[in-house]
Amino acid sequence: MDFNNPYIYAAGLIVAMTIAFLTIMLLVAFTVLAERRVLAFIQGRIGPNRVGFGGVLQPFADFIKTMMKEDLVPDQSTRFVFLLAPMVAVVTAIMTLIVYPFGPTVTIPGLGTFPLVIARFDVALLYLLGVTSVGVYGIALAGWSSNNKYSLMGGLRSAAQMISYELALGLALIGVILIASTLDLFTIVEQQSGWYGMQWNIFYQPIGFILYLIAAIAETNRVPFDLPEAETELVAGFHTEYSSIKFLLFFNAEYINMITVSMLATTLFLGGWNVPFAAYLFGPGTILFAIVSVIGFFAKILFFLFLYIWLRGTLPRFRFDQLMNFGWKFLLPAAILNIVVTATVLFFTTG
Amino acid sequence: MITTLLFILFAGMAIGCAIAMISQSNPLYSAISLIGVFIALASLYVMLAAPFIAAVQVIVYAGAIMVLVIFVIMLLNVEHVEPRRKRLKWLVPAAVAMAAVLIAETAFILYSVQTSQANLRASGSDVGLTHSIGVGLFTTYLLPFEITSILLLMAIVGAMSLARRTNILSAVARVVPGSQVLAMDLVNPGSTSDLPAVEADTTAEVRRLMGVDISNTRNED
Repeated sequence: MDFNNPYIYAAGLIVAMTIAFLTIMLLVAFTVLAERRVLAFIQGRIGPNRVGFGGVLQPFADFIKTMMKEDLVPDQSTRFVFLLAPMVAVVTAIMTLIVYPFGPTVTIPGLGTFPLVIARFDVALLYLLGVTSVGVYGIALAGWSSNNKYSLMGGLRSAAQMISYELALGLALIGVILIASTLDLFTIVEQQSGWYGMQWNIFYQPIGFILYLIAAIAETNRVPFDLPEAETELVAGFHTEYSSIKFLLFFNAEYINMITVSMLATTLFLGGWNVPFAAYLFGPGTILFAIVSVIGFFAKILFFLFLYIWLRGTLPRFRFDQLMNFGWKFLLPAAILNIVVTATVLFFTTG
Repeated sequence: MITTLLFILFAGMAIGCAIAMISQSNPLYSAISLIGVFIALASLYVMLAAPFIAAVQVIVYAGAIMVLVIFVIMLLNVEHVEPRRKRLKWLVPAAVAMAAVLIAETAFILYSVQTSQANLRASGSDVGLTHSIGVGLFTTYLLPFEITSILLLMAIVGAMSLARRTNILSAVARVVPGSQVLAMDLVNPGSTSDLPAVEADTTAEVRRLMGVDISNTRNED
């Protein structure tokens, strides 16, 4: 087994992609369940607890139920675009998975040494932003092609919202890029090792972290920024006309986006797979160290997912003008100010 | 071998999408085809070892500009119109002539590159990478870079001043495709002038109800 052989390398990549895909799909399923249980707890209910032990099989029951439903295509819709939109949404959501470092470089006896990341390249962060910006089309086209006024309003709102908050999101990351002076995510995580977990970028970029978190919640269309699918105003927003597997694709895309956005926050600000003291206890490069690191990475993601659900249980929705004012008049100037301060400090400290 | 196959795939996708873009009558299909062209071009840039250009191509063109185009198409809700054949007859020969010039230019560049004596760079160069592009932009090409930024800023300011002066409808009422006109103060309270809000089905009806005559806006009805 030699990873310098291109065929073995390609096979390894396919295995890695399959593992990442299945992990994320399982994580999506249990995030949905966790959301329902935690929301029920916040609201003083019990939540789904009948299928399987404590309700663990509920997501699969929901999946089978949704798949069995009739797959409707509205008579007057633009048929090709109507079919294209959910695919765009879910494909762009999944495409971002390949650049995240799930764990450190690990040496497995008999297999060799390799980093736990699917693809490592120079512009990983720009790739993420590019793929995310293409993801807007999924929702916008879904709203347009349904030939439904509620859908169209949802699509327009989401396009406006995502364009506005994408700017703040990108600018909030620039502070980290200035500190790291690279766009390669694996290198950015490696730079945050050491000092017993005190070298995470959140300690250097607290404002950038908060700005990114707010912009990311808006970018994924979650409460309190869920205007594209505000059910009290727009029925179900852009996916009103979608049923069965197409609805499932949109649903999946939203939760995969939540997870990938949490992964980016973890990678850039919370040290990625770095767990304090792990390198001293197990020694870098060992299998045990890799396992602890991967668990640490997913623990941080679960924290963000819990934060999403917590916000959904506690916050009301913004009004549209509040949303736009907040994005353009507060978030964007704050992000630019953060860049200026970071650049000035770096100029005087690094020389 | 595999490089050639990928090149044929992406080049074919670019050409196919470009043909689809100009042959579609529905503006939204044209816009989607154009996005396909941009993504195919980005893939070709990646194959030419220029990942930074590829990422920027997707972010700026496919991500930002085309979203705005699609946004406008969705807002205007353009109906399917039969192309008027008689208008601008000289356009077709002019287009053919300019296409011929472009093809000749491309052929000349291909010929001069293939016959030139200059050595190609080694494959391990860092030309397309982020670091070399950043260093180039902020040292050697600083002045053109700054001039371009000022040009873009002027374009933004100009577009804003033009939009504010001529289009009365956008300052007061927002036409939503379908059948309703939202008063601006529903969308953004506090931003309205004293003009009243109206409810109407078409832009023409809005004009009649509000008593404004706008001759230079799009004549859609």
